[in-house]
Amino acid sequence: MGDAGAQRPGRLMRPGPLASLLWTGLRRNLAMTGAVIVTITICLAMLGAGLLLRAQVHTIDGFLLDQIEVVVDLSDAITPAERSALEAEMRRDPLIVGVRYETKKQVYERFRRDFRGSPDVVAGVGPEDLPAALRLTLADPRASRDIVVTYTGLDGVEAVRDQRALLDPLYRFLDAFTVGAFTLAAVQALASFALIYTMIRISAHARRRETAIMKLVGASNGTIRAPFVLESAVAGLAGGLLAAGVLVAAKIFLVDGQFARQTMFPLFGWAAVWESAVVVLAAGVLAAAVMASIALRRHLRV
Amino acid sequence: MIVLSSVSKWYPNGARPALIDVSAEIGAGEFVFLVGPSGSGKSTLLRLLLREERATGGRVIVAGRDVARIPDRRVPQLRRIVGCVFQDFRLLPNRTVAANVAFALDVVGRPRHVVRSVVPEVLELVGLGGKADRYPDELSGGEQQRVAIARAFVGRPRVLLADEPTGNLDPATSTEIMSLLDAVHRAGTTVIMATHNASLVDAMRRRVLELGDGALIRDEAGGRYDQTVPQPVAPSAPPPVVVPAQPTGTAPDGERSPWATPARSGPVG
Ligand SMILES: Nc1ncnc2c1ncn2[C@@H]1O[C@H](COP(=O)(O)OP(=O)(O)O)[C@@H](O)[C@H]1O
Ligand SMILES: [Mg+2]
Repeated sequence: MGDAGAQRPGRLMRPGPLASLLWTGLRRNLAMTGAVIVTITICLAMLGAGLLLRAQVHTIDGFLLDQIEVVVDLSDAITPAERSALEAEMRRDPLIVGVRYETKKQVYERFRRDFRGSPDVVAGVGPEDLPAALRLTLADPRASRDIVVTYTGLDGVEAVRDQRALLDPLYRFLDAFTVGAFTLAAVQALASFALIYTMIRISAHARRRETAIMKLVGASNGTIRAPFVLESAVAGLAGGLLAAGVLVAAKIFLVDGQFARQTMFPLFGWAAVWESAVVVLAAGVLAAAVMASIALRRHLRV
Repeated sequence: MIVLSSVSKWYPNGARPALIDVSAEIGAGEFVFLVGPSGSGKSTLLRLLLREERATGGRVIVAGRDVARIPDRRVPQLRRIVGCVFQDFRLLPNRTVAANVAFALDVVGRPRHVVRSVVPEVLELVGLGGKADRYPDELSGGEQQRVAIARAFVGRPRVLLADEPTGNLDPATSTEIMSLLDAVHRAGTTVIMATHNASLVDAMRRRVLELGDGALIRDEAGGRYDQTVPQPVAPSAPPPVVVPAQPTGTAPDGERSPWATPARSGPVG
């Protein structure tokens, strides 16, 4: 076996010549590569938005779990005996860790405090209009529904109000946006695949002479495929960086700049942004490379 | 080095076989002309040796390996020991002469210092030492074919296949290319040259394999282009010169090739 026969087949191209192939390919294909980058960016920005919305739900959950209470409105007709029996039963309940009695006057004070921004509302309500209440702190606020079921309709109980239930619309809103974002990301992923498929086809055509020579002189299949896969991965990386930029900008201008002033809830922090950015970058590079490999099966016979 | 035993090749939807029952043995370091009219199967035979096609019958053995049984991912190894040049040169028009030759080493992962030292040597060897930085369209056809030979030879293949390498060249240039291939042969390479050029074959007097309609009809050592008819008297007339009439840049078998556009690689002479 001569000099040539002694070579191992799997040896890959050096980075220099590979980069030069990649660079000429990207330049030759500039418009197409640009289109791929734009779709990938939209796809990944949607993915990142979905991740951040989920982070927001977790942030709100964590905040509320400490604060949420179940309020048991007491009927005006309740006797002191009925009230102590009720309180005693609640203290025995393992789901309940705290029971606090508020008189009608204390409830009214709290009401005036909560609605101090709306004098009209306060003006229409007198101290006699609001019922006395028992405020319950729960061992696990997620179990609030069970408490509602247990204590509704008992003697002297007028209503059991679950604060968490008040937040259902907010949760539904956030969930809907999360699902929407992930759906759009999936649609954009399909569009990206279609574009990458086309990009590979154009690229395979543009490189057909180089590819033919590579085959002729015995380049390995991996070497022949590498410039195509890298071209796509570079587009994925560019899309990932742009999408990460969109997430950072959204955090600065939208979340911190706008929402922070409009809501009483805490908002997700930078850690969530960096986490989503890393996921988005990795997903961009890997998905683009995998999509290119699939497209290559169709467009490059080696 | 190469053993063909009862090799046949049917192309899908071909009306007749491109090769029928061809058997021959070519030793290491031999020089062989492959002759025969257009469509007789010369290119097909060379494609079998490169595993660009697989024989549909018989066995093709190159350097001890049954070519049809080489797994796909090992085919590149075969192509590193079997180089090939074509009638239409197949150079990359956007690369310089040196870059075209270096490309063949780069894509098989040769280290940079090897590429840097070997490429100028090979260019010197093919007589293009001063033209390393030219682009293919700045070269004559003969010079382009020299670049193609340099590219095929730079990886030191053990076999060099040449498919009508002088088909696009004028007679004087053809002779130069012929002597370059002869030099490659003398460097120890097994050379198989498919050709229509009768005067070259007659001048060289090497082993001739002749194909006719896919069958091997002659295997003659020191042969001429045409069947040597027994002649009582020494021949006084020169052998007839067959002028190759192949259109530029078009593969004679009509196969769709990336070089099909006759743009930059015309026969400059
Ligand atoms: N890719 C192909 N598909 C079908 N038939 C082919 C193909 N290539 C060559 N042939 C046929 O095989 C025969 C031999 O062709 P070829 O090997 O190119 O001959 P030569 O090189 O001697 O001119 C011809 O009849 C040709 O039409
Ligand atoms: Mg031919």
